[in-house]
Amino acid sequence: MNTGQKTTILILDDEAIVLKRLKPALEKAGYEVETFTRSAEASDRVKQRDFDIVITDLKMEGIDGMQFLTQVKDRSPSTEVIVITGFATMETAKESFQKGVFDFLAKPFKLGEILGTVKKAEKKIQEKR
Amino acid sequence: MKAALRDWAGKIFGSGRGSGKRLPFTALFSRFQKILELNNRVLELMADMGDKLGGDYVFDRQYIESTCQQMSDLVSKLIYNLHSLAPRKYLALNDAFSRINSEIEEELAGRLVIPHTDYVMRYELITRDFADVVGGKNANIAELKNQLGLEIPDGFAITTRAYQSFLEHNNLVEKMDELTKSWSEGKLSGKDASDNIQSLILSGTVPHKTRKAIENGLAHLQELSGQKHLNLAIRSSARGEDTEHTFAGQYLSLLNQPQENILNCYKEVLASTYSPSAMQYRQEKGFREQEIAMAVACQNMINASKSGVLYTLDPLHPERDVLLITATWGLGAPVVSGKVRADQYTVSREPPYETTAIDIVRKTESLVPKEGGGCEIQSVPQELQTSACLSDKEIKEIAEAGFLIERYFKKAQDIEWAFDQNGKLIILQARQLNIMRGFTCSLEDICSLVEGYTVIFAQKGVIAQNGIGSGKVFMVEDDKDLERFPQGAILVARQTSPRFAKAVRKANGIITDIGSTTGHMATIAREFKVPTIVNTGIATERLKPGQLVTLDAEANVVYAGIVKELLYYRFSEEAFEETYEYRLLRRILKKISPLNLVDHLDRNFVPQACRSFHDITRFIHEKAVEELIDLNYHHHRDPEAPSRKLQSEVPLDLVVIDIGGGLTEETGSETVRPEQISSIPMQAFLSGLNMPGFWSSEPMSVDFGSFMSSLTRTFSSNLASPKFIGQNLAVISRAYANISLRLGYHFNMIDAYISENINDNYAYFRFLGGVTDQTRRSRRVKFIAQVLAKQDFRVDLRGDLVVGRVKKLALNVMKRKVHIIGQLVAFTRQLDIKMDSDHHIERFVEEFDRLMKKNDRANKMEGTT
Repeated sequence: MNTGQKTTILILDDEAIVLKRLKPALEKAGYEVETFTRSAEASDRVKQRDFDIVITDLKMEGIDGMQFLTQVKDRSPSTEVIVITGFATMETAKESFQKGVFDFLAKPFKLGEILGTVKKAEKKIQEKR
Repeated sequence: MKAALRDWAGKIFGSGRGSGKRLPFTALFSRFQKILELNNRVLELMADMGDKLGGDYVFDRQYIESTCQQMSDLVSKLIYNLHSLAPRKYLALNDAFSRINSEIEEELAGRLVIPHTDYVMRYELITRDFADVVGGKNANIAELKNQLGLEIPDGFAITTRAYQSFLEHNNLVEKMDELTKSWSEGKLSGKDASDNIQSLILSGTVPHKTRKAIENGLAHLQELSGQKHLNLAIRSSARGEDTEHTFAGQYLSLLNQPQENILNCYKEVLASTYSPSAMQYRQEKGFREQEIAMAVACQNMINASKSGVLYTLDPLHPERDVLLITATWGLGAPVVSGKVRADQYTVSREPPYETTAIDIVRKTESLVPKEGGGCEIQSVPQELQTSACLSDKEIKEIAEAGFLIERYFKKAQDIEWAFDQNGKLIILQARQLNIMRGFTCSLEDICSLVEGYTVIFAQKGVIAQNGIGSGKVFMVEDDKDLERFPQGAILVARQTSPRFAKAVRKANGIITDIGSTTGHMATIAREFKVPTIVNTGIATERLKPGQLVTLDAEANVVYAGIVKELLYYRFSEEAFEETYEYRLLRRILKKISPLNLVDHLDRNFVPQACRSFHDITRFIHEKAVEELIDLNYHHHRDPEAPSRKLQSEVPLDLVVIDIGGGLTEETGSETVRPEQISSIPMQAFLSGLNMPGFWSSEPMSVDFGSFMSSLTRTFSSNLASPKFIGQNLAVISRAYANISLRLGYHFNMIDAYISENINDNYAYFRFLGGVTDQTRRSRRVKFIAQVLAKQDFRVDLRGDLVVGRVKKLALNVMKRKVHIIGQLVAFTRQLDIKMDSDHHIERFVEEFDRLMKKNDRANKMEGTT
């Protein structure tokens, strides 16, 4: 990043393996990454800090991913949200986009795909600034 | 008995064939079509699941569960459809299915499924694939000998199956489950749980079959060594130990044990699985207790003159870029446990591996094997106390072995070595060396650190196996290049080829211009975990032979030069292959993908022999074709769908079933000639198949004949034999043809509809490679894909499977496409010869074009005269 400040990313997924794979890949690409498996904790965290990008699963125990991303968007409209889900349907995709989600990725996805999406989201953020 | 009852029931109640109510042929045929469709979906899903092991995909448990569910649904539907084609005939498939499916469910439920293997396995027969059976230590060390040719002690493994049988024989499973449960719930202290479990194991008896197998193993060792009485090293080799997690020093090793003590030693090592520290370690590492299974290594004791440890990288200061060797006189155990002072050598990691520092200490004592068993401390003779243990030559020998092993296992290594009394280097153990992350550059800094390096290209291809590797570029064009392939180079080639298997184990990376992640070479690269990027389009053009490059098959970048930061990052990172989800998917795929039912003429080509879903799928495909022919040709079941054998110049053994207007009126009652076929697509297909020069090697154009004879024939003589022409089937109507052909070991399927109505028209061609060696298959498959693509088919290539589709073209154009399929089917039959080089693929494509044009010209001339 040429701004000097790292782009911050929060990832929420109840399957630890997803975090285990994404965190190092994104860090290696120069991002600052925080990860959560429990939506309640992620929810608390976004109350303390605004992230540039939030990556979240949709179907999880506890609060629903859709609820979480709504909360994120309400608090910080400039945060770009990327949805990752193994139950991709047209309805969920539509609902996500209506809520202002930046992109929607069906699991499993390639590391290159999520990195590409994150880069696009980052570019959009920089253009807005 | 069961089978006899079934037969009897079949006779009384009617088994469908020739009795009871008859389904019209069209109904049977729709089931047959369903089978073909399901078959395709199974193969595609299998290829996709295999692709996930390459590391480029992020997948989770939910993915594994849902794809297993899909797979199981598809296979059970296949079985259902075969049952309705052939009621009660293949009921044993149900048992095979439930057996395999419940094994998969057990895996998903987290219970360990130990494959059916022997209680004891000799090292000669062990590969890393058996790691689940023989444990990490055995698997690693046997691999060093069997794959890398390094010297190791002679030995055998007492398998995890023996462990399981020990627990069952002594009724320990539930008792141990309860104890570990109480411990993990905090109701029982670690020490109490451990004491209880260990005494249960020590008071158990070794089952008779295991005892017998151990005796046989011992006899074999005696034979190898030429000695009647042996002393043994008996060591733990737990599942997961030394491969994915080190478990260093957690379990027991017993040295120099007289052979008569072997059973007691075996139990002691088993009991050490449940030492308090081992239980603690597993809990910390997130290992599930259900994953535990202890195999044991029994090795001929090496009477070492000197021994020690090699670290292929300094674990605390990896940036020093050195190897560390510690050495002492006698046995190495005191060095490993850090109990004695030892000489230390620091050696550069760059060839020619110069020693940069030597630290010689006074070695007053050494550990040696004791007469009659066990070990004892001995004084070292005065003159040896302060002399260096190792010569320069010996240091180099150790270093070279170390690099070989490191490259092979893709991680820095912690290696125990010894020189025996004859001065021969023997590797006693190799395991991953954990590098302290904090001492390498941090992950977050990698990004900025690598910015200083020149990128040759990035984001160009597809990652087939993730990882990082560096080395000199070595271009591979033909098989001779593979023979010369140097250790540690980066393999660069125009196309992927399973022939690269030879070089893959020596390669630090693979980059190709063309290729797919579901092809055979990708599978092999994944097996050896060689970082691989395929389909870059420009690798052979941009990279120069001998150029130093670093391949980052994670970020999909190729750098000029050696990017040390990345290489060390690789060492410190937890590999994707170590995650539970990876291990789970890999274990499950072992029950899905391997193809064991190979030859349909083999006596073992029966449902009972199916060991994977692939086997079941293959079996059903073969039988479905047979059944349709059997029902309608041999038994004339449905008068509305007459069956005839095709009489043609090419020996096809093809049964034609007409479901409406596919045959002219005046056919014989048993046979039909090509000109009596009125089905538009069938006619087009046969006209292509019968074109001169395509089917038979005689007569053949002179230049093509000589080209062919320049290749090594390995198969062609067999092809003449009717045994290799399968029972073939075409179901036709005026506008439709569905043709199933098995030629040699491969399957062709053509499904086409051709009429005046453009929108209804389609042609589908599927080629499935057989079970001959992978290279020949893959070149043939590639050749077919190229020809189809040139003819504007939409082509999908996955492993052995090529699918080509065209649709919605005018009648004449469609006829032409199916005609070409006919030519292609005939032509590929000739390709059961050894294609030594990928260049041959292009030659064949050209030759195919030439033949096609020649025939077209001849046809035109015929038309004008």
